[in-house]
Amino acid sequence: MIRNYLKIAWRNLIKNKGITFINTIGLSLGIGCFILIALFVTDEVSYDQFHEKSDQIYRIHSDILFGGTQMHMAVTSDPMGATLKKDYPEVEEYTRIYASEGSKLIRKGTEIINEYAIAYVDSTFFNVFTFPALKGNPKIALQEPNTVVLSETAAIKYFGSVDNAMGEALEINSNGNTLHKVTAIIKDMPKNSHFQLDVLMPMANVNYDFGNYLSHNFHTYVVLKEGTDHTKFASNFQEILGKYLLPQMSQYMEIKSLEDIEAAGNKLEYSLIPLTDIHLHSSQSIELGANGSIKYVYIFSAVALFILLIACTNFMNLTTARSSVRAKEVGIRKVLGTEKKSLIFQFLSESTLIVTIAHAIAILFVFLSLDWFNNIAGKEISIKALLQPHFLIFLIVLPFVVGPIAGIYPAFFLSKFQPISVLKGNLAKGMNKNTLRNFLVIFQFTTSIILIIGTIVVYQQLKHIQTTDVGFNKDQVLIVENSNLSEETRKSLKSEIEQFPEVKSACFAGFIPVSASARSDTTFSTESVATSENGFNMQYWRTDYDYIETMGMEIVAGRNFSRSFGTDSTAIILNEKAVALTGFKDPIGKKLYKSTDSNQNIVYTIIGVVKNFNFESLRHDVGPLSLRLGNNSWRTAYRFNTADVEGFIGKIQGKYEATSTEMPFAYSFLDDSYLDMYQQEQRIGTIALIFTILAVIIAALGLFGLATYIAEQRTKEIGIRKVLGASTAIIVKILSKDFIKLIVFAFCIATPISWWFMSSWLRDFAFRIQLNWWVFAITGIITLLIAIITLSFQTIKAAIANPIKSLKTE
Amino acid sequence: MILQLNNASRVINSGGKKIALLDNISLEVKEGEFISLMGPSGSGKSTLLNCIGMLDSFTEGNYRFLDEEVHTLKEKQRSKLYKEYIGFVFQAYHLIDELNVYENIETPLLYKSVKSSERKALVADMLDRFNIVGKKDLFPAQLSGGQQQLVGIARALITKPKLILADEPTGNLNSKQSTEIMELFSELNKEGVTIIQATHSEKNSSYGSRIINLLDGRIVTE
Repeated sequence: MIRNYLKIAWRNLIKNKGITFINTIGLSLGIGCFILIALFVTDEVSYDQFHEKSDQIYRIHSDILFGGTQMHMAVTSDPMGATLKKDYPEVEEYTRIYASEGSKLIRKGTEIINEYAIAYVDSTFFNVFTFPALKGNPKIALQEPNTVVLSETAAIKYFGSVDNAMGEALEINSNGNTLHKVTAIIKDMPKNSHFQLDVLMPMANVNYDFGNYLSHNFHTYVVLKEGTDHTKFASNFQEILGKYLLPQMSQYMEIKSLEDIEAAGNKLEYSLIPLTDIHLHSSQSIELGANGSIKYVYIFSAVALFILLIACTNFMNLTTARSSVRAKEVGIRKVLGTEKKSLIFQFLSESTLIVTIAHAIAILFVFLSLDWFNNIAGKEISIKALLQPHFLIFLIVLPFVVGPIAGIYPAFFLSKFQPISVLKGNLAKGMNKNTLRNFLVIFQFTTSIILIIGTIVVYQQLKHIQTTDVGFNKDQVLIVENSNLSEETRKSLKSEIEQFPEVKSACFAGFIPVSASARSDTTFSTESVATSENGFNMQYWRTDYDYIETMGMEIVAGRNFSRSFGTDSTAIILNEKAVALTGFKDPIGKKLYKSTDSNQNIVYTIIGVVKNFNFESLRHDVGPLSLRLGNNSWRTAYRFNTADVEGFIGKIQGKYEATSTEMPFAYSFLDDSYLDMYQQEQRIGTIALIFTILAVIIAALGLFGLATYIAEQRTKEIGIRKVLGASTAIIVKILSKDFIKLIVFAFCIATPISWWFMSSWLRDFAFRIQLNWWVFAITGIITLLIAIITLSFQTIKAAIANPIKSLKTE
Repeated sequence: MILQLNNASRVINSGGKKIALLDNISLEVKEGEFISLMGPSGSGKSTLLNCIGMLDSFTEGNYRFLDEEVHTLKEKQRSKLYKEYIGFVFQAYHLIDELNVYENIETPLLYKSVKSSERKALVADMLDRFNIVGKKDLFPAQLSGGQQQLVGIARALITKPKLILADEPTGNLNSKQSTEIMELFSELNKEGVTIIQATHSEKNSSYGSRIINLLDGRIVTE
């Protein structure tokens, strides 16, 4: 029986090549997108699941509100982990990662390599996390100073092979050049780990003023005993605040109790986030790497589902639309004694057949496009991911779910035909007024319009990010790394290069106004005795005389640092936000106090106010910031003006390489670093664009098929109208009118939905575009144009056909 | 006796008016009869055949088929009944275009869940008997009208029905083909199959053992 069904299904597919093509292409695109996004989502939710204790590991987050500055940090103070373990039996183990020093130089023969995937960790690192060893025992490998654990990649990179590396010494520029003995080699960290480290050094090598509860610089992970409720456990932090933080704070400030802190509107909060939630749910500052976002997982899942549904909808519409062709068969089968049930089964097996074919094409399409998809999504999903048991089951089950979804409505629709009426040739009347079909078309176009609007808004915001005035001039600024040169060399190089005609100005620029560069924040007060009322936190950047000019920032009051004032070593320039926090009406000449460990204040005089500039991404508002003179020479910034950028860089490189042949010459452009902050948005933009185009293509294909059918069905009516004198234009109008109405209706539904979605997306940006009415208008016009062009292929063909032909068939 | 109609009518609503497509039909058909229904277009021949074939139903009166009161049966039981005992032959043949000759003839057996080996034997017999073995792999579109109707009759006979209902079986055929089909019917009738045919043609009606004339849904003469 099923063979008979499939035979008929197959012959039908072959016979109606056009419809089969539309259906198969639509479904394969839909299923292909669905599989790609499923791979993406599977990868996103798999982060950090591979650790044996993944459900017991938590990271400590610090959320601090102090002096009007809010900080949500992924790090905590250095003693926090040990304190928790000492005081609370629920804590089995803790470990810390210290990555605040950034990249390190490592020697490989005569070459020096700048290693970025490097950090200091506690010796307990491998008790907490599960990273299988290739050589040695990582659990005891980092107990001594001057040891190092390498990943397989690092071992090959520095020693040629895993075997050569073990037991050898690696020269790392870490607080002076030191030799570190390779004591263990681990397999590379899986791609779905939220941190990616290749070189792990022992905490004993860190040069840090340990024991400070008020400085937050360590990523700290704890293992809680099985069955511990981490939210309940987090209430213990209140106790820790009182017992350990308060005594240290009262050394610097006039604070007697925790209530004093809160009364002044300040807040210190610590919390635990489950390890496996970090990738999708954590967006603190000072993360160990770029995290994903649960929001995008939801958005993409929804997009995948909708594209699949649009493709299924095409199948439903085209199949029911062609029912006149199948009606006769249904009639005969019923007369020959089949039951409705088996007809439904027949049509469902047909839809499953076509979905299975589309599925096979879709898998091929996934194979071919995975590299490209990885590229735009910033992923490294291997094709092997398709063969994981749970994904394999998903792939096998998918056609048997999608097939019936696409087929169920046509199956019921077709199987309900009455044999005598269809055999007599009168098809079910009123098929034009098929409400469900109209609903499906509206659904397809609503979804498409929402996607189009979403894509336009994302692109507008990206454009806004690139062109908005961020308070500094990011174009034509070259940043050169100096970190491995002596102070004298840095200075002499800078003064030599400053003489180049291309250079307009130059400065040392350790702190630059893009995120992921050096930061430092400190507490200031407006009076010599700091209280929680007059104290506030702000960025505290060491710059030089030419910094403001080179970065293209603007002084709005007072003056810049000047070499002609001998007293500028205690001068400070604030941004407008910081001025607002001080409460000074006329800030120039006012004093600011910065407390130090020895309980002595450093007194600064405000000499100028710099216009607010965005030093973090536009997602965040501009925070308070101060500039002072000080050593920051580990980078040099050159503002240049030349068409031959490559030649200019070549000249600088020549100068650098003349001083030291073994140091890597590393540079970046300020505008590139600036755009790097929006990588995620750019990816989202590209992905959204691609899926939108696909969704629109699939919907247009469906509309095309539907128009074909309607034109066929109304052949006789068109013939009669033409005989009675209707022009081609009138016929085209009559045939298009109903569809256009549906699309206008879809537009009305899509507009408020997309307005709501996009304004909530934009709310993530402190600096954002306004949603413009014309975006919606343009989208509406684009959609209508696409629809009219699609329809015109069929309507014009039908309208210019010779009426004699269509009427003769009666 | 194979079937009996007692004051059977079919009345429909059309634009608020009641129209009787069949009006008080009383009829008895004995096993082995060959009945020709005659009458002008719209006289109710097709409706009567459809109602007898249970594709349509009488709205009033009694219909008794092989000791079953059809008018009291549920849809499912009715469908079981006609599947078992009735074969249909249509003016437009109504073969399934996507199936070849062999598969078209086989289809009713599939619905009766006949075993594969038995199906093969039955279809082969039928092809043999109608001399269309050589055409078994052809599709309906590749056959002449007469050949298509032969396949249609073979398909109707494959389930060994007691009653064949034929609605203008030769309406689309030329006279030579018509004669062949009608001769086939009288042969079948001699073998014991009961046949009711609707026809316009005096010549065709003469093959029957009994002629019933219909006009405006009533039996006028017998």
